[in-house]
Amino acid sequence: MGFWRFCFRTLVFALLWWILTQGAINSWLVGAPVVLLAVLASGWLLPAISWSPSGVVRFIPFFLWRSLYAGVDVARRALHPKLPISPGLFDYRWRLPPGLPRVFMANTVSLLPGTLSAELGKEHLRVHVLDQSGDFISELSLVEERVARLFGVSLADAESEE
Amino acid sequence: MSELLTLMLLFAGAGFFFAGTVGLLRFPDVYTRLHAITKADNVGLGLVVAGLLLQAESWAVRGKLLLIWLLVLLASASVAHLVARTALRKGIRPWKR
Repeated sequence: MGFWRFCFRTLVFALLWWILTQGAINSWLVGAPVVLLAVLASGWLLPAISWSPSGVVRFIPFFLWRSLYAGVDVARRALHPKLPISPGLFDYRWRLPPGLPRVFMANTVSLLPGTLSAELGKEHLRVHVLDQSGDFISELSLVEERVARLFGVSLADAESEE
Repeated sequence: MSELLTLMLLFAGAGFFFAGTVGLLRFPDVYTRLHAITKADNVGLGLVVAGLLLQAESWAVRGKLLLIWLLVLLASASVAHLVARTALRKGIRPWKR
């Protein structure tokens, strides 16, 4: 693990400890070794993650807004007397590289309007769609672009979708 | 003022939990129910956390509240995915209109 990554992870775990102990000063007697052990364990368990700070900053408001919309949308459908849903399955062809970005996207998709990731395939993400008449494909590709920016990776060229 | 805002956020959050539960009962199959429970509860908890943030007395408590919300987001999205994947692999067909 490089020096800066070590520093960054130490900072993150120290922050977590500070939050969990609500800033109790004498807890650091235990906390300092625990943080160090956590950093070392993370070096072993968690490979280096590339991410872009500006991508993260731009992702947060996007996610908050779209997930709020998702909640409003599904609440409206659930409470509507006619239950306006027309569900179905859809295979979305990955443009993201394999690994963490795909897992991250699959989890994000489940919290965004009308989509639920059901299977992480090698070439496709199988998505359950709550309303097939909606424009969920452009939503998915927008999410994918945001996730790509967050991780600082580039998207493969989209092959013909249908 | 902040008490009033907290009260509104808590009630709004409860409203989303209610809608999510209604969806859980009314939606026709496992997949659509997962939609209701993950998305509505995410917003419900988010609003409750936002309301409590206004009353928090220290930054450590605010951090803890946000951390709780993030962990629940991660858990609910991952579990929803696992339930949906298992259902698909068991051959449960999605309900069609």
